[in-house]
Amino acid sequence: MALSRRRFLYGLGGTGLIFVFDLSCARETPTPPVLLPAEGDDEEALVAAATSARFDYRGWLVIAGDGTVTAHTGRMELGQGLKTVLYDVICQAFELPREKVELIMGDTALCPNDGPTTGSNATRGVAWRYWMACHAVKSRLLDEAARRLSVAREELVYRAGEISVRDGTRRPLGIGRIGTGVRELSEADLESAAGDLPSYVDKQNPSVEAEAIVTGTKQYAGDVMAGECLYGAFLLPDYHAPRTRLLSLDLSPAEEVPDVVRVDRLGDSVAAVGRTFTAVQKALAAVAAEWQAPPYPPDFDNETEIRRRRKLSRMIRDKGDVEGALAASDHVVTESFVTQYATPAPIETHTAVAAASRRETTAWVATQNPFQARERIARTLEVPEERVRVVGMPPGGGFGEKASGSVGDRAAALSSLVGKPVKFVYSRRAHFQQDLKYKHSVVLDITTGVSSEGKILVRTIDFHQGHGRGTRKLYEVPAERSRLFRSEIGVQNAIMRGTSYTQTIYALESHTEMVARSIGLDAIEFRRRNVSESAFLPLLDRCAEMLGYGVDLPPGRGHGFGICYHGVHQYAVVGAEVAVDRTTGEITVTKLRGAYDIGKVMNRNTATMGIKGAMIWGLSYALFEEARFDAHRSHMEAFADYRIPRFADIPEIEIDFLQTHRPEVPRGCGEVPVPPTVAAICNAVYDATGRRFYTLPMTPERVRTALSR
Amino acid sequence: MARRTLSLRVNGKRRRVSVEPDEPLLWVLRDELRLTGTKFGCGLGQCGACKVLIDGRPIWSCMTPVEAVADGREIVTIEGLGQPGNLSPVQEAFKTHTAFGCGFCTPSMIIEATALLRDTPRPTRAQIVARMNGHLCRCAAYPNIIAAIQSAAASGDGGEEA
Repeated sequence: MALSRRRFLYGLGGTGLIFVFDLSCARETPTPPVLLPAEGDDEEALVAAATSARFDYRGWLVIAGDGTVTAHTGRMELGQGLKTVLYDVICQAFELPREKVELIMGDTALCPNDGPTTGSNATRGVAWRYWMACHAVKSRLLDEAARRLSVAREELVYRAGEISVRDGTRRPLGIGRIGTGVRELSEADLESAAGDLPSYVDKQNPSVEAEAIVTGTKQYAGDVMAGECLYGAFLLPDYHAPRTRLLSLDLSPAEEVPDVVRVDRLGDSVAAVGRTFTAVQKALAAVAAEWQAPPYPPDFDNETEIRRRRKLSRMIRDKGDVEGALAASDHVVTESFVTQYATPAPIETHTAVAAASRRETTAWVATQNPFQARERIARTLEVPEERVRVVGMPPGGGFGEKASGSVGDRAAALSSLVGKPVKFVYSRRAHFQQDLKYKHSVVLDITTGVSSEGKILVRTIDFHQGHGRGTRKLYEVPAERSRLFRSEIGVQNAIMRGTSYTQTIYALESHTEMVARSIGLDAIEFRRRNVSESAFLPLLDRCAEMLGYGVDLPPGRGHGFGICYHGVHQYAVVGAEVAVDRTTGEITVTKLRGAYDIGKVMNRNTATMGIKGAMIWGLSYALFEEARFDAHRSHMEAFADYRIPRFADIPEIEIDFLQTHRPEVPRGCGEVPVPPTVAAICNAVYDATGRRFYTLPMTPERVRTALSR
Repeated sequence: MARRTLSLRVNGKRRRVSVEPDEPLLWVLRDELRLTGTKFGCGLGQCGACKVLIDGRPIWSCMTPVEAVADGREIVTIEGLGQPGNLSPVQEAFKTHTAFGCGFCTPSMIIEATALLRDTPRPTRAQIVARMNGHLCRCAAYPNIIAAIQSAAASGDGGEEA
């Protein structure tokens, strides 16, 4: 199916109108200058790398001859509800039923390259921009209809896909019959539309994917060409040694496995292709391969090595007289926090199907970033990108991990090896071993000086690893110094739901409650006196009320809070109640409450599901998740080796939306619930036990040990 | 081993397949019968994404050799519960409660919930949690899934196929 985007545009141009507009506002926040290059160690650098493919950041709205409105976006539906929200937006703006609206997502042949789907910017960036663009398009349609009908524009009204003359002298004109060709919407067009934008109404529609999901008919990458293609997989040396040389190899036992089509050496790896998934796994298990062990670094203590190898990356903030303010403080609290390594661990392993040839290649890839997958496939096959079409398939969970990765290019290499379509489904072990990246471990040293009246006077933070984001717009801090250090540790870092704010807020908000306690102030009152953004005040009160804060709890129970400011004006306050069993060390989260000011909620069904899910991610990061590896390889092969949340871990969760700050505009909510939930649980555990855990996760073993001391 | 022809009873229909007898049922369903609603998540019985009903009981299809369920065992997959436009009560409840994120684990959640409600038509929250606990949902739609099962139970014949 060789379908170039240009040909597609010309093809449709004959039958309707194509509106093109700028979407660059949906880009991630610009990367601040980094003094030292961040060798695979920095989330922002990863985002920058992910966005390196020549993005054109355009939105396309196509009005077909029959009046159908189609949006084309390279963004992906990940379960966050983007598809539902885009349908809602276009249907509502054009007053059309769902049958008259279409959405084409993630197909590099049909969609503009408008960026990877990460960082919870899809609703605030893409969907809201489409809402504006739809109204700008309507305005342009009225202009063109006025010219065409030779009537004054004021005489025309738009209604439900038709334009009619007020006096009813002519038959209404369908929007598909107004003109043909490509129209550029300028920034002025969009701003003028934004000027009198109608209020978006959340009709609380069910997810547009619901029927397909509950009947098992939603198509994921692994469902493409079921029973019609071969399977393939690679045998690779384990993760920490990606460039290890293959010393000896015996393929003959693998060739004996029934249904195996081909087993071959590809560079320093072994490729197997067969008729079934099982045959390929058996073949690779039968291969006798010996790799040359590279000169591994000795096993290291993570925190010690991070500190020992540190180099100043940049001064994040340096204001006021820090030393003077510390001397003038009535109380000074200094603490150090260490976070664990973690990994996204989606239920769907990396999956792709490729039909490759030198002339043209099509690949169906489970990805958050189809254009990057295309770039990688083209590089692997050594063909121009124009000859590769990637159909981005909605991931069965991505959480950042599928924003990059090699499953597409590996499937293409396998397909090219045998000259037939090949499906590559990672085994669970391969998913936990090969190409694995980790949410980074951050070491944070924090010192805060306060007055006896409970005002923060000064704060210093040394971040080691990460990029020092997440401290802005929380508290009024007159004197402040924060520095970012980087240490070359040799671990590849992943983008993961919650972003690096998770590590920062865990530490900073744990510290906040320790500072409050040092002067005998209540956690809510201390924050009330110090928050820099008034948007937090009603959220603090609401969250405390929902949690039932202030009543005496039985022994072994505790309350705690965490606050977070993320992205563009997303405010969150989360409260937790926990019960700690001193004998077993088991922490049970009994209640989670969240108060959010995230502006317009575009679809309450999908937003609420996403926010509760993100709070459970916070719970899991605080209590369970820890990716284990040594200098040689990942120690994880199965879900049994990496604890993620289960039904039995789920507390009662209630959330509320308060809209005090620009309530008309959506500002996103996918990430902001995660970080304050981690802190709230840590603070509740302190409240219950009088113990502060400076290392995560708070496993029963760690808790038991700490409480028995 | 070599391929053998086996007879399966899937979603009320007799199907003949030519497969390796130890091939896990999961891949036979997906690739031979093109019933792709049943998913591969781990191959080890640790995530639950592959569960189907065998004689009414939820079983990990990734760990069940196809020959063990041939000749008369009744296999029901998500496709056998309801279709778009004709949802089973459990499917309807999952839809209404947005009891999913990406949706990958949803078919097996519905399989397990259907069996649960057949065994225990009015389960308590604790019974739902105990029964569903072997199913992982990384989007963490758990609260909505619990609510969906409670609502299907309250509406009556949650366990019956549509």
